[in-house]
Amino acid sequence: MAERVRVVIVDDHSIFRSGLKADLDDTIEVVGEAHDVESAVAVVTDAAPDVVLLDVHLPGVAVPAGTSGGAEVIRRAAASVPSTRFLALSVSDKAEDVVGVIRAGARGYITKGSSGADVSRAVHAVAGGDAVFSPKLAGFVLDAFGAAVGETAAASDELDRLSAREQEVMRLIARGYAYKEVAAELFISTKTVETHVSAVLRKLQLSSRHELTAWANARRLL
Amino acid sequence: MESRAEQVTDAAASVPADHAPSGSADAAASAPRLTRPRACIATGVSAGLASHLGWPVWVVRAAFVVTSLASGAGLLLYLWLWVFSPWAPGDERPTRRAPVAWLLMVGSAVSLLAAWVTSGRVVDAGGSGLESWLLAVFAGVCLAVASGAWATFIDRPDPDRGPRQELAIRIVATALLAITALALVFGPNANWYPVPTFAAALAAVLGIALVYAPTLVTAWRDLTAERTKRIREEQRSEIAAHLHDSVLQTLALIQNRAGATSEVARIARAQERELRDWLFAGDTPADSDLGTDLRDFGAALEIDYAVTVDVVVVGESRERASGEMAAAAREAMLNAARHAGGEISVYVESTPDSVEVFVRDRGPGFALADVSGDRLGVRESIIGRMRRAGGSGEVRPGVGGVGTEVRLRFPAAERAEGHRG
Repeated sequence: MAERVRVVIVDDHSIFRSGLKADLDDTIEVVGEAHDVESAVAVVTDAAPDVVLLDVHLPGVAVPAGTSGGAEVIRRAAASVPSTRFLALSVSDKAEDVVGVIRAGARGYITKGSSGADVSRAVHAVAGGDAVFSPKLAGFVLDAFGAAVGETAAASDELDRLSAREQEVMRLIARGYAYKEVAAELFISTKTVETHVSAVLRKLQLSSRHELTAWANARRLL
Repeated sequence: MESRAEQVTDAAASVPADHAPSGSADAAASAPRLTRPRACIATGVSAGLASHLGWPVWVVRAAFVVTSLASGAGLLLYLWLWVFSPWAPGDERPTRRAPVAWLLMVGSAVSLLAAWVTSGRVVDAGGSGLESWLLAVFAGVCLAVASGAWATFIDRPDPDRGPRQELAIRIVATALLAITALALVFGPNANWYPVPTFAAALAAVLGIALVYAPTLVTAWRDLTAERTKRIREEQRSEIAAHLHDSVLQTLALIQNRAGATSEVARIARAQERELRDWLFAGDTPADSDLGTDLRDFGAALEIDYAVTVDVVVVGESRERASGEMAAAAREAMLNAARHAGGEISVYVESTPDSVEVFVRDRGPGFALADVSGDRLGVRESIIGRMRRAGGSGEVRPGVGGVGTEVRLRFPAAERAEGHRG
């Protein structure tokens, strides 16, 4: 975690931005701030940071109905800054707050109640190409991909179901295990855990699984 | 009106209290409040007034009838009391023994029949009885309309009568009024006294319309209620959006700045949860299943102990909150909050063949072997309870020696037995 990570903070509450800025550790350099969708797109494309800390609920002029401001920022900005990764900040860890931005391309999310150290860790993880999963999101993924009723992917490239190993990893994350602990429990390396989590994230983003889309449609997220 | 009635009752109640020492409780002061009994004949006015005044019911009824003869004073008093005296306190729906709608209809029929019978005589008498003949027609029309209104407004919600009676009343009223109108137009009076007769026929036709008018009124009422509800819903979601953007963010910030387990953060977290429950009340299922119950219990623990409880529920939870599984899980959570503190993760997974609950903390940890046999907590209330109920419980140190993890499992087949026992 030695290398410095350049970060843009996008949140419509200036108190929250300054608070978060003060809390992040020294390895993280805040290179820009924005308070709505339009300014966020401008700042992100301009600064091309490593990571964007992105509020899910963001005001904006032309945000289409049924999507969140955060998801809209990713949709508009991601193409022009391919190396930038997005980490969603949500006021709660409710899945409906989060799945929309994940589907739009965020690499993970973290709740606003998290400590500065937690946010810093998550920023580094995302900057390193990993996905950040919370227990709640892992639980939602297990639910949405039918793991509870025994659905298991037969082939590794199947998008609509989780492999047995991915299910194990998700279960342990849902039980509150850190990646390191998951690795120790399953006798695999932390790197392998990260690979599994990234694979699950990809499925979450790309799957057209009925439950996922129906669920998201019901809440008008996509 | 309601509040004045309350005051009257209070005053009435206070009088005997004041007089009690002297032993002269006065009869008027102890009279029951004027209310209409819920099981009544037509409106309950007579019975209510009788018990209020302490008179026999027949005296009250007779008084109403007699005073009604004096230009309808009794009738007016009756209507006034009907409108302004409340139902007797209680929850059951008022029941009316008398088929008032049919009685009104019979009255209407009699009145119209009398008018029809006498119409010939009016002509013979050279128009002397014309006024009372017209009065009878109008009274008949009014009674038919009143019958329709009663059937719609008062009897329709009554399960014993309801829409079927309403329909029957309407058919009879329509037929009666239509025949009346035709009889008037083609009857003998039409030639001799065309203007009053056509007015009466018009009244009968209007009466038919009025019999159906209550439906429009109820439809209008429903529409207004619907609109009010929609406006409320809109306002609510507006408030929810506003609070989401302001208060919830602030509460999150407070939690962030105060440190995860500090008292301020816990209060903010509890407040956030309460607010969220209120804002999105419609989204959560009302019945308490295992997941909901453990979530609530976790919320309660967060207030009492320096902990944050994260409850994740996977699968459709069929397990009820009252079961042994829930009791054991609550015990495990309480133990974790008491002895470990910090972050507690609770994971509930319901699969077709079992229900599993994991409770994990990051406290100092303990091994079951170290706990002396007289400590009942873990051994009895968690593991023993699960075994007795037909499931299994296991306590083990957390991964890497950090904290403790309790694992509870209940197979689906035996779960049913556990509930029966």
